[in-house]
Amino acid sequence: MSMILDGSTEIKRIVYDEQAIASRVKELGAKITEDFRGEELIVIGVIKGSLYFFSDLTRAIDLPIKIDMIGFGNIPDTTSKTGVVKITKDIDIDISGKHVLVVEDVIRTGLTTAYLIQNLESKKPADITLATMLLNPDRLLMTIPVKYYGFEISDSWLLGYGLDRKEVGRNLPYIAELARKE
Amino acid sequence: MAVITISRQNGSLGDELAEYLAGKLQCMLITRAYAMENFFSESDDDVSEKLSDSAKFFLSEVPGEGGLTYKDVLTQKIKKMADESDNLIVLGLGGCAMLQDREDTINIRVHAGIETRKKRIAKRYNVSLDEAESTIGIGDRKHKRFVSIVFGEDLAENKLYDITFNTDFLSVEECAAAVLALIGKKGARLKISEETQQNDSFDHQTSTPVFKNDTEAEFAKILDMYGIEWMYEPKTFPIEWDEEGNIKMAFSPDFYLPKFDLYLELTTMEQKYVTKKNRKARKVMELYPGTNVRIVYKKDFQELVERLKMFGG
Repeated sequence: MSMILDGSTEIKRIVYDEQAIASRVKELGAKITEDFRGEELIVIGVIKGSLYFFSDLTRAIDLPIKIDMIGFGNIPDTTSKTGVVKITKDIDIDISGKHVLVVEDVIRTGLTTAYLIQNLESKKPADITLATMLLNPDRLLMTIPVKYYGFEISDSWLLGYGLDRKEVGRNLPYIAELARKE
Repeated sequence: MAVITISRQNGSLGDELAEYLAGKLQCMLITRAYAMENFFSESDDDVSEKLSDSAKFFLSEVPGEGGLTYKDVLTQKIKKMADESDNLIVLGLGGCAMLQDREDTINIRVHAGIETRKKRIAKRYNVSLDEAESTIGIGDRKHKRFVSIVFGEDLAENKLYDITFNTDFLSVEECAAAVLALIGKKGARLKISEETQQNDSFDHQTSTPVFKNDTEAEFAKILDMYGIEWMYEPKTFPIEWDEEGNIKMAFSPDFYLPKFDLYLELTTMEQKYVTKKNRKARKVMELYPGTNVRIVYKKDFQELVERLKMFGG
């Protein structure tokens, strides 16, 4: 299969189709339901990449959970040429003393996830665990608590189900590998 | 863990800083009132009054304490609390002189210009500016005299302090932010120092990080951007010895991330050439159990630099 998505983005093959994703998300939802039964759980999705995974996963968790979303971006800073990463959309729910599950689309080096964990820890939750649709364990630099993941990936360039290439392709219902044109 | 001493002028916001930090760190605040009530509670009213009025009286022997003076008892009690607490704040009491030999202590001096202090005291106690000036003068002399007589130190000496704040244009919150940042950094450094005393590794920390190349400097910027605390080459791990026990090979990972208890070694070489570094990292983890070392490959580094240039959610 080869499909041109836009002028510079070419899809080489579908890595995980809709059915494979739905089935895996269902399994993860069941596992989380089992692990947090009887507990108060707050699930936090990371904008924008986790949007579809977050939406499907939270509906696969059969518990009275609370949901929220968090977003971050690079903000200019007077003390640094490169700016600093700051929360652009903070959570609205009080997480102090609660179990928190952070939902990501993909974790590679884990640096952005580490930043989020540091930020959320300052709000004194009981604990923080991580769920990600895709995980590249070989490239994980940080010691972060990834407990649930959909699929292990290698170094291929992926797109769809929340993952983008220059903001395009997030809404594809499957996860595809890109041809390395650039 | 941090032991903080705060020496302050009246009207300098030193008391407010101490209370604010005690709240933030959720730790005990030792004030003069606390010391009198808890360390010398069995003393009669006459002794309490003398301790309150006379610095010299601190050099008198405490009855039934085997020749110890009130100064000795005060020092012993505070040092014991410092040893046993995660965090402790000592306000006044000559804490900066008393604990100056402890490496885990952060000694703070808080001062402000006389006009600022007069206005604050006048407002707080609803007195005239002249009355405020007189109160400030008496307070300054008493503080100076207490530390001079009891500990033989001059409060004006910079050597007693790690950090000094002039609160003419700084708020309590701003001073506290600086102190909290310092506690974090210093705590991480002391942790490395302690670890090196417990195993064969060497404390390699320097006062200023000098990066070996641009890649390391760039990587430090990336960590700064994400607000991730780092230390540069803080430790050297011997990994091979000859028959006589001399070190043949050692490894100093480039970065240490205290929050994640993780060492990172950067490589900008092609992946096929990094086998040696991987072997060294594995050896460190074998020889020093509990130590985590990860290699940052060229590809990871390039991707992070890309993110730095064009950040995307």
